[in-house]
Amino acid sequence: MAARWIGRGGIVAFALALLYPLSGLLGPVGPWRWDQDVAPQTLASIRVSLGLTGVAMIVVLLVGTPVAIYIARANFRERLLWQGALLLSILLPPLALGILFSIAFGPAGAAGRWLEHFGVRMSNNPPAFVATQVYVSIGYYVLGAIAAFQAVPAMLEKHAALLGQPPWAVFWRVTFPLSRLGLAAALSVAWVRALGEFGAVAITAYYPSGMPVQLWVNLQSFGLPAVMPLLVIFLAAALPLPWVIHLLAQRRPHA
Amino acid sequence: MLEAHIVKHRRDFTVDVRLRIAEGGCLALFGASGAGKSTILSSIAGIEQPDEGVVRLGDLQLFPPSLPLHRRPVGYLTQDPHLFPHLTVEGNIVFGLGSRRTSAEAGWLQHLRESMGLSSIWHAPAAQISGGQARRVALARMLARRPPLVLLDEPFGGLDRQLVRELIDALLAWRAEIEFILMVIDHQAEILERLCPHAAVISQGRIVQQGSWDQIRAAPADRAIGELLRPL
Repeated sequence: MAARWIGRGGIVAFALALLYPLSGLLGPVGPWRWDQDVAPQTLASIRVSLGLTGVAMIVVLLVGTPVAIYIARANFRERLLWQGALLLSILLPPLALGILFSIAFGPAGAAGRWLEHFGVRMSNNPPAFVATQVYVSIGYYVLGAIAAFQAVPAMLEKHAALLGQPPWAVFWRVTFPLSRLGLAAALSVAWVRALGEFGAVAITAYYPSGMPVQLWVNLQSFGLPAVMPLLVIFLAAALPLPWVIHLLAQRRPHA
Repeated sequence: MLEAHIVKHRRDFTVDVRLRIAEGGCLALFGASGAGKSTILSSIAGIEQPDEGVVRLGDLQLFPPSLPLHRRPVGYLTQDPHLFPHLTVEGNIVFGLGSRRTSAEAGWLQHLRESMGLSSIWHAPAAQISGGQARRVALARMLARRPPLVLLDEPFGGLDRQLVRELIDALLAWRAEIEFILMVIDHQAEILERLCPHAAVISQGRIVQQGSWDQIRAAPADRAIGELLRPL
């Protein structure tokens, strides 16, 4: 009993320390600004962030899931190689990634020239915004998803196949239900990472401005009183999706 | 008819066996641990790939080329029941059946459920049933598809004698009904003897003796086999 209370006290202390920076919201910054100069651009940034990050997450899921399945089932050496590539992608400082992205997808890069043939310029537009978010977040999703898939015993999948189930059915009926909690955690991390991205997006897609860029704009133009309302909205907008994903993933699925 | 020639190179020796089992027949594989028995069974099931050889079940070529697992009409049971922990007992047993069930299939399931004594746990989560119940469920799940070939790799390991007896009785009864070809591995000769009148003795990946249990007992291929057959 005492051990439980010590544990509970420890977690409360941890949570207080973790969330302590949020107390800055109560700081003496003067009256918060939410007027015609601030509100329309701020609301637009919320629409941009939620909409385009949603598109980026669909891309992350569709591309990242099969990649994670492949790597999770690869042999040890091959798995190390691909995991190294993923780590490299997430180790790059966001600002450096933004600069490299702009060069590689600009007129000087092969991919940039190729995309220009189709009239797509990867700078300061929604495709650039989505592509940057995919680059900054997909590594986190895939690494988490690999761990989730590896936790599903391969023999369970083989038994499912021997019961007449083709590979896609084995995935939907066995692999996915048993890995969905891990997949939800991986997707949540990717969502939060992409939504909060500033360094890379500020270089590749300053416009249309998402919430992190708008925070910077508000700070530069109007000071802290214009930052605080957007911060509150950011927290309220970013939190529900990963939370709902976790709730759905933890429902007991006995069928 | 099952015809198999399995060649599989292992670190210490090469498994190389030829088997032929008639329609509705039964063969027990007997031998010391590490003799290659499980390799033979999992190669026929398709869990492992043989390095060379051929596996044919009736007109169906299982290897080579390797037929995907989901197209193999094979029931495969091991010591670990490998139940799907996120499903109920019912969910596990109907797993390999189509989603739309004919009345004949529903009747068959009812028959399976009652004769295997699964009614009381039918809606229980598979993760919450006992080890002995899990073996029964795994057996029922395998039989639900009525496979023409059943491969049992020590499915009775770690169970008490009463439960082993029940499972053997159930298997024999179902075999009389479904008439599948049966291959079975176990360390205990008395279990194998109840299931199959004939056995192949495996040593270092080769069949060193084949015949009825009486023949094998009368003249074991070597001393080690004789020791394995000796009562405790």
